[in-house]
Amino acid sequence: MKRKLLATLLAVAMTATLLAGCTQKTTPTESTKTPAATTQASQAATTKATESAGPVTFKVFSNLPDRKTGQGLVEQTMIDNYTKENTNVKITVEALDDAAYKTKFKAYSIEGMPDVVSIWGQPSFLDEVLAAGVLAPLNEADYKDYGFISGSLDGFKKDGVLYGLPRNSDMESFYYNAKMFEDNGWKVPATYDELLALADTINAKGIAPVAMAGGDGWPLVGYLSDIMVKMNGPFSDIVTNAITKGDFSDPLFKQATDLLAASAKADLFQAGYDTQDYATAKNLFINGQAAMFYMGSWEASMALDTTIDEAIRTNIKAFTMPAVADGKGSTSILAWNGGGYAVSASSEVKAEATKFLNYMFKPENLSKIGWENGVGMSAQDETAFMTGKETDLQKQFLDFLKNASNTSGTPVNDCGTATFKTSIESEIQSVCNGTVTTDKFLAAIGAACK
Amino acid sequence: MFYTRRTHMNKLYSNKLIIFSLVLPGLLLFVFALLAPIILSVYYGFMDYSGMGKAAADFIGLDNYKNLMGDKAFWMSLRNSILLAIGFICIQHPIAIGVAAVLDKLQGKAEGFFRCVYFIPNVISVAIIAYLWKFIYNPSFGLFNNILKVFGFAGKVNWLSADNAIWSVLLVLIWHGFGWGMLIYYTGIKNIDPVLYEAAAIDGADARTTFFRITLPLMKPVIQVNVTLAVISALKQLETVYLLTNGGPGNSTQFMGNFLYQQAFQAGKYGYGNAIGVVFIAICLITTVLLNKAFAEKKTARRLKNGTAGE
Repeated sequence: MKRKLLATLLAVAMTATLLAGCTQKTTPTESTKTPAATTQASQAATTKATESAGPVTFKVFSNLPDRKTGQGLVEQTMIDNYTKENTNVKITVEALDDAAYKTKFKAYSIEGMPDVVSIWGQPSFLDEVLAAGVLAPLNEADYKDYGFISGSLDGFKKDGVLYGLPRNSDMESFYYNAKMFEDNGWKVPATYDELLALADTINAKGIAPVAMAGGDGWPLVGYLSDIMVKMNGPFSDIVTNAITKGDFSDPLFKQATDLLAASAKADLFQAGYDTQDYATAKNLFINGQAAMFYMGSWEASMALDTTIDEAIRTNIKAFTMPAVADGKGSTSILAWNGGGYAVSASSEVKAEATKFLNYMFKPENLSKIGWENGVGMSAQDETAFMTGKETDLQKQFLDFLKNASNTSGTPVNDCGTATFKTSIESEIQSVCNGTVTTDKFLAAIGAACK
Repeated sequence: MFYTRRTHMNKLYSNKLIIFSLVLPGLLLFVFALLAPIILSVYYGFMDYSGMGKAAADFIGLDNYKNLMGDKAFWMSLRNSILLAIGFICIQHPIAIGVAAVLDKLQGKAEGFFRCVYFIPNVISVAIIAYLWKFIYNPSFGLFNNILKVFGFAGKVNWLSADNAIWSVLLVLIWHGFGWGMLIYYTGIKNIDPVLYEAAAIDGADARTTFFRITLPLMKPVIQVNVTLAVISALKQLETVYLLTNGGPGNSTQFMGNFLYQQAFQAGKYGYGNAIGVVFIAICLITTVLLNKAFAEKKTARRLKNGTAGE
């Protein structure tokens, strides 16, 4: 009898222990609530009243893992400044690179999103995020004095409701090593034919003409979009129509793709460009093994990056995609508002998280700090922060924008669904290296829309 | 006293509640870590679902599976996974058995030294391995092209071009997994009774005969396990490929594991990704059963043959 009792007790204890480990977090009953739990509950009930006074902790989930340079540094600076000014606030940061960030974003969307998150105001990312209802709506009227450039909030809206704020105004360009150009007597190309001729000359010197991060896919699609702008001017109507119908038979797509493939065949890009990632391509340029680097305006911070050899860093200049023969968009540029921030719909400290978001976007914060760190251009009016001490690159990008007759809007890969984006960023490698024809490429990306 | 304690233990172990409580942890682990995810995969395999939050998941029947059958990238990934499995079986494992046999004969410090050397790639992080090989393969400054230049070649081979990439990736994967295979075979050889080798030596058997008549036949159970593990690891290859080429250029180095990840988490086709997962599980199960059957048939045939000879 004793043994039976002992065995039963053992079994019950073990099962209880195991089940205790497997149980989900449950709401304690009134009688079992601990003081901490009671405090939490009361805090949730009176969020607004206590958030400003009591200690608040929230999390920023960011796609900027480098916290020492560029945009990551700007973001971290704002977080540090905010916590200094609001001593009751503690902000934790989780930062991952784009691919890992997007994967974890999905996991968080199911189990509960961190309070402030990085987002992209483009259909390829935002459509399914908004459909899942994981972002909190913002009051657009609150931002009327924030100096956002006209149209920059559009990508962050759905049915007229604002869900996020844009961080940057992005544009694509060729960064070039001005000293290398000068030493070799090379001229900045004014037309696309001149660019191809220059590539031949540079190749003859044993240097890679353009460092291209083709392994990542999206820089190649950016290049394709850039050619399309030069051929046609803004293309959003044509692209939207093609994506809606899954039909890329418009001649613009074929002509632009043919030119891109021909450029790759003419060795405009470094050997192995179709498998080399962002870091490898950038290293080729900043180590002097490539004369040019095709990348976005956010890389303007290279001019202030002391980890780059001074002889190269101080000689980095930029030019936009040269005019294409018979192109209708010779004065148009590829520019858009991409990355930004939003507040999670499931945040328990939504008011405080929104307060932090608003703090970041006060013109004297993100815009000013970003400008001072040479991180491209923000989506807000920055003219008030001009000091005259801007780097040549910053001034050049301002001129590009000022001199452009119009801008393209979102690049082609981000105009459709995530499926379309994945497809085009993979297929473009094949059309560039000649594995598939232009027609098959266009058919494949069309199929990805259906 | 000892007898009494054993009787008590026997009675304790014959108690169904005790048995249940001892089996429960393993059962729970199986249910929650294996069975439940598989059931969820089967469920989502029938759904059109982006995988984002509480967005609607629509039942679409077998559409994901139908689309999969017509997806060229899927067949390319399956082809590459099979190529890798063949590479493991036909290249990696014969060399691993040979090296393990040689190591066994080396004895002394050299044995320990080379055992460590061959195992080092397995200790290094996959991320480092991938980036190391990226540099080795780089057409502009990579080690391979520099070696070619030393021997008077132009040294402009693009090792990761659409034509070469799959072979370059296979080389990395076969090299990287070599240590594990070798170590398992080495352990298998070490477990063979040395008396058999002594008897063979007395009978005048040379090294070749000893290897083919003693080592290899006694290693068959180890080979069976190792080959099964290798085939499964080829099918679920993800990390190295993801970091080395991410399946590119195009889909030329696409593997099933990487394809599943891309579709489920990057392309926003979580349902489709789960359908790939279900097919993936089915392929793994079928392969394991076939391999077990192949090895079992050989055992039975051998046993029958020996029985007849005995009679």
